[in-house]
Amino acid sequence: MSAAVAEKVDDDLWSAIGDPTRRRMLDLLLVEGEGTATTLGQQLPVTRQAVAKHLGVLDRVGLVRATPVGRERRYRVDDAQLARAVAQLSSVGSAWDARLQRIKRIAEAIQRTQQDSQQH
Amino acid sequence: MEFGSIEREIFVEAAPDIVFDVVSSPDHLKQWWPDDARYEPTPGSAGELVFGRGEDGGAAVPFTVVEARPPRMFSFRWTHPADEAAREGNSLLVTFDLTPSGGGTLLRMTETGFREMGWGAAVLEQQFQEHVHGWDFFLPRLAPYVATLEVSP
Repeated sequence: MSAAVAEKVDDDLWSAIGDPTRRRMLDLLLVEGEGTATTLGQQLPVTRQAVAKHLGVLDRVGLVRATPVGRERRYRVDDAQLARAVAQLSSVGSAWDARLQRIKRIAEAIQRTQQDSQQH
Repeated sequence: MEFGSIEREIFVEAAPDIVFDVVSSPDHLKQWWPDDARYEPTPGSAGELVFGRGEDGGAAVPFTVVEARPPRMFSFRWTHPADEAAREGNSLLVTFDLTPSGGGTLLRMTETGFREMGWGAAVLEQQFQEHVHGWDFFLPRLAPYVATLEVSP
């Protein structure tokens, strides 16, 4: 797979996981282990057709895997792909943790400097 | 965990006006994030952050101030293409909200735009995050920096 294609897949993965309904569906699938468009549709305020469409998006980016069961498809979360998406955002989050710690130290140092000067 | 945005909150034992200065002024910004910051801390001001130094001058990343309401709120967009104005969909939006709290300041930070920008933006963020490594970077810089601070009478 070329770098450009890999990047496209990554962008799709990101936008797949960015949708609140799809995240809710992933949560349900994680809790219940598996589900179909029908079982998920019963627990979400959207139509079965909409659920099927969302499952298609998740399937295309590899976040879920489907097995045909009768006339339906049964879905499970792909743990490795989900972990990959989560790790990417977590690393950005930890970067901000470090930045905010530095902001805190700098501001508190200034505050102390000002207080000291007022006392003298 | 909310995918597509990052939210953080930290309590700072310093007055809101001091914290506002630290999160908004370019001189302070380059003490906690990029190696250099060139912009005016006023709404609409477009400038850049520079990561890295050396002969090539480092990597410049566009930076545009969105709102500045001292000492309560400061927001900016970054990572938009250099030849485009910053707007929703082409950049990451960082917002600092400051709330006075018990003699200090509750500082809230949100960064949004990952969903619109896609994976590439997160990778970009990651590239620019840890050119510094916590205390190894910070302590040697902080001491001489504090020593240069102007003391208010």
